[in-house]
Amino acid sequence: MDLLWTISTILLLCSLLSILWKGFDRRRNRSCYLLDFVCYKPSDDRKLSSELCSDIIVRNKRLSVPDYKFLLKVVVNSGISEDTYGPRSIIEGREECPTHDDCVDEVDDCMYRTLDELFLRTSISPIDVDVLVVNVSMFAPSPSLTSRIVNRYRMREDVKNFSLAGMGCSASPIAIDLVNNIFKTRKRTLAVVVTSESIAPNWYYGTDKSMMLGNCLFRSGGCSFMLTNDPSLKHRAKMSLKCLVRAHIGANDDAYSCAIQKEDDEGRVGFHLSKSLPKAAVRAFAENLQRLAPKVLPVGELALYVLRGFRHRLWRSKEAKTDAATAAMVNFKSGVDHFCLHTGGAAVIDAVGRALGLTKYDVEPARMTLHRWGNTSASSLWYVLGYMEAKKRLRRKDRVLMLSFGAGFKCNSCLWEVLRDLNDGGAWEDCIRAYPPQTLVNPFMEKFGWVKEA
Amino acid sequence: MPRAPLPEFSSSVKLKYVKLGYQYLVNNFVTLLLIPVMAAVYLELVRMGPEEIMGLWRSLRLDLIQILCSFFVIIFAATVYLTSRPQPVYLVDYACFKPPTTCRVPFSTFMEHTRLISSDEKSVRFQMRILERSGLGEETCLPPANHYIPPRPTMEASRAETQLVIFSAIDDLVRKTGLRPKDIDILVVNCSLFSPTPSLSAMIINKYKLRSNVRSFNLSGMGCSAGLISVDLARDLLQVHRSSNALVVSTEIITPNFYAGNQRSMLLPNCLFRMGAAAILLSNRRRDARRAKYRLVHVVRTHKGADDRAYRCVYQEEDAEGHSGISLSKDLMAIAGEALKSNITTIGPLVLPMSEQLLFFLTLVGRKLINPKWKPYIPDFKLAFEHFCIHAGGRAVIDELQKNLELSAEHVEASRMTLHRFGNTSSSSLWYELNYIESKGRMRRGDRVWQIGFGSGFKCNSAVWKCLRTVKTPVDGPWSDCIDRYPVDIPEIVRL
Repeated sequence: MDLLWTISTILLLCSLLSILWKGFDRRRNRSCYLLDFVCYKPSDDRKLSSELCSDIIVRNKRLSVPDYKFLLKVVVNSGISEDTYGPRSIIEGREECPTHDDCVDEVDDCMYRTLDELFLRTSISPIDVDVLVVNVSMFAPSPSLTSRIVNRYRMREDVKNFSLAGMGCSASPIAIDLVNNIFKTRKRTLAVVVTSESIAPNWYYGTDKSMMLGNCLFRSGGCSFMLTNDPSLKHRAKMSLKCLVRAHIGANDDAYSCAIQKEDDEGRVGFHLSKSLPKAAVRAFAENLQRLAPKVLPVGELALYVLRGFRHRLWRSKEAKTDAATAAMVNFKSGVDHFCLHTGGAAVIDAVGRALGLTKYDVEPARMTLHRWGNTSASSLWYVLGYMEAKKRLRRKDRVLMLSFGAGFKCNSCLWEVLRDLNDGGAWEDCIRAYPPQTLVNPFMEKFGWVKEA
Repeated sequence: MPRAPLPEFSSSVKLKYVKLGYQYLVNNFVTLLLIPVMAAVYLELVRMGPEEIMGLWRSLRLDLIQILCSFFVIIFAATVYLTSRPQPVYLVDYACFKPPTTCRVPFSTFMEHTRLISSDEKSVRFQMRILERSGLGEETCLPPANHYIPPRPTMEASRAETQLVIFSAIDDLVRKTGLRPKDIDILVVNCSLFSPTPSLSAMIINKYKLRSNVRSFNLSGMGCSAGLISVDLARDLLQVHRSSNALVVSTEIITPNFYAGNQRSMLLPNCLFRMGAAAILLSNRRRDARRAKYRLVHVVRTHKGADDRAYRCVYQEEDAEGHSGISLSKDLMAIAGEALKSNITTIGPLVLPMSEQLLFFLTLVGRKLINPKWKPYIPDFKLAFEHFCIHAGGRAVIDELQKNLELSAEHVEASRMTLHRFGNTSSSSLWYELNYIESKGRMRRGDRVWQIGFGSGFKCNSAVWKCLRTVKTPVDGPWSDCIDRYPVDIPEIVRL
């Protein structure tokens, strides 16, 4: 009897120890801290006013007057201000034949400026960087952009570098996913991620309307940020990564081809955005939220969601249940304090805001980022975060959700927890006091009345 | 009385035995140390007799409880140790794209097209000279768009080539392994010079209807060594995600990269790069260990980008007329040698037997402290590996590595024959070479393979694999119809 008792005690102790060990094992190397991020602010001579946009559009002699009107309407109604930036080669008139150097210079300027500042602010030397990831979707020269950075900053020989390309506007969470996975396999690692987009080589100068939207909406921008899993740097970190969800619905043919780079009928390459894009976005969004909700929401809210689902099914089984309606049944604000939404366009931001049940205050950072910087593709999330920080909204223990969409079709999201009260101005330093402005209406509207009639 | 000098052969034979003896001694040092200890213990036991042994046992006064406790502690410690070790990564199987014969570009076709496309007689003759000395054969293939005069590098044609090469390779892999696309957890694709949006990984997800939570990554611009970078990334991901598999696709798309100018340093890629692709299935599942061909032992990456000379030696730029191409500098071989040396410094201690490491260390110490004129000791990598897959970047690269590593002709045969039959297929060439070795029936269980890739940046990446089961011939792959003709003798210059 005694023996049995002792054996069972020992077994219990061993299993307890195993559970503790598993828990401990799960936690070590699991952290991913954001040390700092620097958003790119191009020089003021690259500002694209509506008037300048109109001049550039008119340069394309292949377009007819209705086409000009359509494009100007898009520019004016886009919610983009007069202060967004474009590539030098396009402003200087070389949009149809940019040289290789133009394209490289555009990306170099963004990468080097932001990295210089990042290394300065974090007081970390480039030689200490262990992992380097660059994602620029539409430009991949040889040697890769990561090699350019390794060369410029004289990084170590054993730096793990990855150059992601073609991954669209939601590539930021993908780069974070890559770094996070590497963090789980090694200790005390430092990673630098550069995210940007290349506009100069991708200007469309044909006549296909579906491909001209890209020209109107994309603007120059980028961000460099530093991540680490070293616990000793936690006190300097801004945020800590809680979870990351990637959803890819490329298996569906419509979703795959709704945002695709291809040639038009005359053989000119452009980025085609089809009419089925919103539908694909909704599906990808729902797919992502389904997996994100259990990780982000408190147990109470999840239980409520299940109950609401049952009630919906029992009492209104005849009504068609759309994915957006499902999403609206969940109150994400119970688990998330701030929302960084991809600034794909005013319509996208509003649609996502409605689906998540967000107020004007919640979508303000995204709308203001669209206004001040335009659609800077993958780096837009960081400008939105920068707005929140400059407005001193980010307090310790706040939870920030980054949500973005990209060609493929993907919806990626990640949840951060703020580690200390943040108040850097960053790229918004000189203009944050003017935000939110009285009106988001484009001054062009008054100048050229005929645009409204088109 | 003057002694007759020893004849050459007997001194060299004695040296060989000394070297063998030394290697045996150092590599089995621990075993040799343990043998006298074990012998002593055995003799002592025999001397003591069973009575004394039982007396000794009883005197320890071991309780059942204590025995059980120590038993459990040992099992617990063993479990903790086993679960915290890195997960093994297995290569279940791989498939290479076999180009259709309609895409063949014999020398005559290449030269005829070049003469019709190019207006500059000098550059035509230069390309002819490159081709004569390239080590390529008559069966290498270019994509359909490059068969037009002039080539038609449209995005549609590039996508068509991508679909042809990648989907064929993946279909082959699916057939060989019985892989279900819905089971793929990780997808890594690398293609250096063609990165449309959506990415090639999205193209694969679309065609094979992969799951929505597949972790996909698309690497681009990373050069001819990107295949091993993808394997490295897949390995890191497989360490984190238990019971998963990863599909790695390595390719290079030729269609958009035809150089239409006349600058010599940029004409080489036109002459050497050919169509190719490989799809590799990696897994960390225990049940796959039984049917896997190889286990990944090490991956070592070296990036010499901090050195300006190395960084600029493979560089994409525009020539004076505005044609975009990749220029290769004249120091390419020297830089490749240096990059390899750096890579070896890291991989050497991981793979070399103790005897070689000790010799290298002693020579290093000697050079630093005693006499700097001592020749640096080049470790004998033939002791660490049975097979070598050197990136078939060009004849000069293979020659340089053969010299640097002191390899025999048989060791570099796979690389030379791959260059001859398929040309420089960039990141997938290492897989064609591995397939050659298997097709020749040389791959046995326990053999170790060293894959070395070079790429723009300048990078040198290595992967070490260990063969888990002897590969039986005939092997189903791109060499199946021509392996009997190989090896061929490749002359220095093929007169055109």
